Amino acid sequence: MNNSTLLAVDDLSVHFFTEDGLAKAVQGVSFAIEKGKTFALVGESGCGKSVTALSIMRLVPDPPGKIVSGKIMLEEKNLLRLSEKQMRHVRGNQIAMIFQEPMTSLNPVFTVGEQIAEAIKLHQKKDSERAWADAVEMLKRVGIGDAEGRACEYPHQMSGGMRQRVMIAMSVSCQPDLIIADEPTTALDVTIQAQILDLLDELQQQNGMSILLITHDLGVVAERADDVAVMYASRIAEKAEAKPLFEEPLHPYTQGLLKSVPQLGFEGERLATIPGTVPDPLHFPSGCKFHPRCPVGGQDKRCRTVEPELREVRPGRHVACWYATDYQTQQERNEYESKYRQ
Amino acid sequence: MVEISAQQKSWGVSYGEMVRREFVKNKLNVVNLVLIVILFALAVLAPFLANDKPFMIRLDGKLMFPLFASLTASDYSILLAAAIGIWQLILIRRNRRNIEPSVRGQVLTRQLLINASILLVGSILFFVFMPRRLDATDYKGLISSGRASDAIFAPIPYGYARTDLKVREQPPSKEHWLGTDDVGSDVLCRLIYGSRISLSVGFVAVGISSLIGVFIGSILGYFGGKVDFIGMRLVEIMMAIPVFFLIITIVAYWQRSLFNIMVIIGLTTWTANARFVRAEFFKLRNQDFVQAAVSLGLPLRSVLFRHMLPNGIAPVLVEATFGIAGAIFIEAALSFLGFGVAPPTPSWGQMLSLGVSTTGRFLWWLTLFPGLAIFLTVLAYNLVGEGLRDAIDPRLRKAA
Repeated sequence: MNNSTLLAVDDLSVHFFTEDGLAKAVQGVSFAIEKGKTFALVGESGCGKSVTALSIMRLVPDPPGKIVSGKIMLEEKNLLRLSEKQMRHVRGNQIAMIFQEPMTSLNPVFTVGEQIAEAIKLHQKKDSERAWADAVEMLKRVGIGDAEGRACEYPHQMSGGMRQRVMIAMSVSCQPDLIIADEPTTALDVTIQAQILDLLDELQQQNGMSILLITHDLGVVAERADDVAVMYASRIAEKAEAKPLFEEPLHPYTQGLLKSVPQLGFEGERLATIPGTVPDPLHFPSGCKFHPRCPVGGQDKRCRTVEPELREVRPGRHVACWYATDYQTQQERNEYESKYRQ
Repeated sequence: MVEISAQQKSWGVSYGEMVRREFVKNKLNVVNLVLIVILFALAVLAPFLANDKPFMIRLDGKLMFPLFASLTASDYSILLAAAIGIWQLILIRRNRRNIEPSVRGQVLTRQLLINASILLVGSILFFVFMPRRLDATDYKGLISSGRASDAIFAPIPYGYARTDLKVREQPPSKEHWLGTDDVGSDVLCRLIYGSRISLSVGFVAVGISSLIGVFIGSILGYFGGKVDFIGMRLVEIMMAIPVFFLIITIVAYWQRSLFNIMVIIGLTTWTANARFVRAEFFKLRNQDFVQAAVSLGLPLRSVLFRHMLPNGIAPVLVEATFGIAGAIFIEAALSFLGFGVAPPTPSWGQMLSLGVSTTGRFLWWLTLFPGLAIFLTVLAYNLVGEGLRDAIDPRLRKAA
């Protein structure tokens, strides 16, 4: 861990002890978020990306969830070792969270001003009037017109995009070092999505905070993220900087994901899909969890029996796939394949 | 005026305001609410409505005000409480119009604190400095003997503890509108004073049971798991105790006092509240806004009672109105059986029990009127509870 790292998740495993059995929602996930950078966690629903985010906040519902191993280092602190009281100080103050559904993430019985002011009052020890003024100021910063009037309104009087702005204002109000945005635009209209992401970018530049962006929308990731980790079935499949990952995806799953993004100019063609469905965390397949759907190694005995570790195949590029090697030429690739396909 | 209403509009409509509007839409609710308000007024103004002491009388040429002189410290405390309650309601209305929302919570807290302390200090002063005066003068006798004149009596010129064996067990007549009981006391007068007992039992018992129920229910619901499992078994043990017989046992053992009855009803009927709140909190704790509140680092107290409780209080409010009706009912039943408040303090249930006189005569007015009073009060509270539930429900459906 170097000085520019804000948050380092190391070998995090989260299990859910349900009545139907043990669900390993997150297994051995490691990644690091740099200061002032945007880190994207990409994956289909149920792959464990939201649970990872909740683990950082220590909000995994317990029971049935439990963080069974790993470390989450926020600068020098291991968040998993903090007391609940210390953790409360971290929440909101150092790490804040934006939720997916703006319709339900604001409390219906308070005005939005009160909700923002409460956090400010708590973390910055300001009196009611100062906190209220700050809340109005925050609403202005997130681009809400007539902030004084709007602060006195209740959430149900606002549109979805407006509420997400309020949510952002609330989480940014105490100037946290890290914002966890859990699918912040999924529930919004396409026209609003870009506005919200631009707003996050803008605030990031002003405050110099880091963002952990959790999404299944690769278009969002390509534009905004500095680093990307692709998750599949509770593990990280591929981890790299955004640009090389999009230019040359190494994991067959990432390749499939990128192919299935609709693009302009390809009219009439059928959109590529990844066959099959995400495995149920109660019944993961043996070996590499992607092998039943994998176009490359589906028949490979090794893929079916042994799970590949996340390896650094090229500088800064981590892939969990037996086929991803540091080959540079087609010949090397052929050699590799002949070696394992017998 | 126009300016104010425009400003008010931009301040938004609160949840409570919406429920109020929905509630008022149904005229039956308003009728029931008015009935309850009248009941309250009767209870508060009882000494001015029914009293054997005149407001004013000229005795031996001297002007006297025996009614005011005979008011006890608790009478004054009740009047003070009512006045402060009305004043607070007016203040809340005015706050909504004149105070900025940013400081409204603070202002309200300050007002509540000031008013509560005025009430507390006032009551203590009344109880410490008011001499206990027993005025047993028979003013009517004085008038008929010609010593006194110019008397102004309350509409019902009888005291609740005044016995008059000459007119015992009289059916309704011009002098006694609802008849008299076995010791010749006026039934209407005792009914009016009895509303005090019923209301205080209802509110204090429900207050105690709601507080306990909300506290236990919210903790069980929020933490779930083992806490919930153990807690719910305790709740079930509590529910297995037959409340009515427990109360009879305790009252038989200790004193027959109103205080005991209120506290025991409160301490034994909280289980329903706890279960409602627990169910609500189960639902709420995984809601995004609760997660958002936790993720802002708010302390548990604030998450539980500021963010979750207002969203889950609806069933408690409804249950409270039913609970008041239930507590009134229990008190009436206890008094009917002779375990309630001790005579001569009037209570509806105890009056009901006098309906069959010791001579075996059935005195219909002693059964009908207290019975009607119990029936109407319980009905009004139940219907208000229903109305409240309906007023809250459509909004919950919209939000879901």
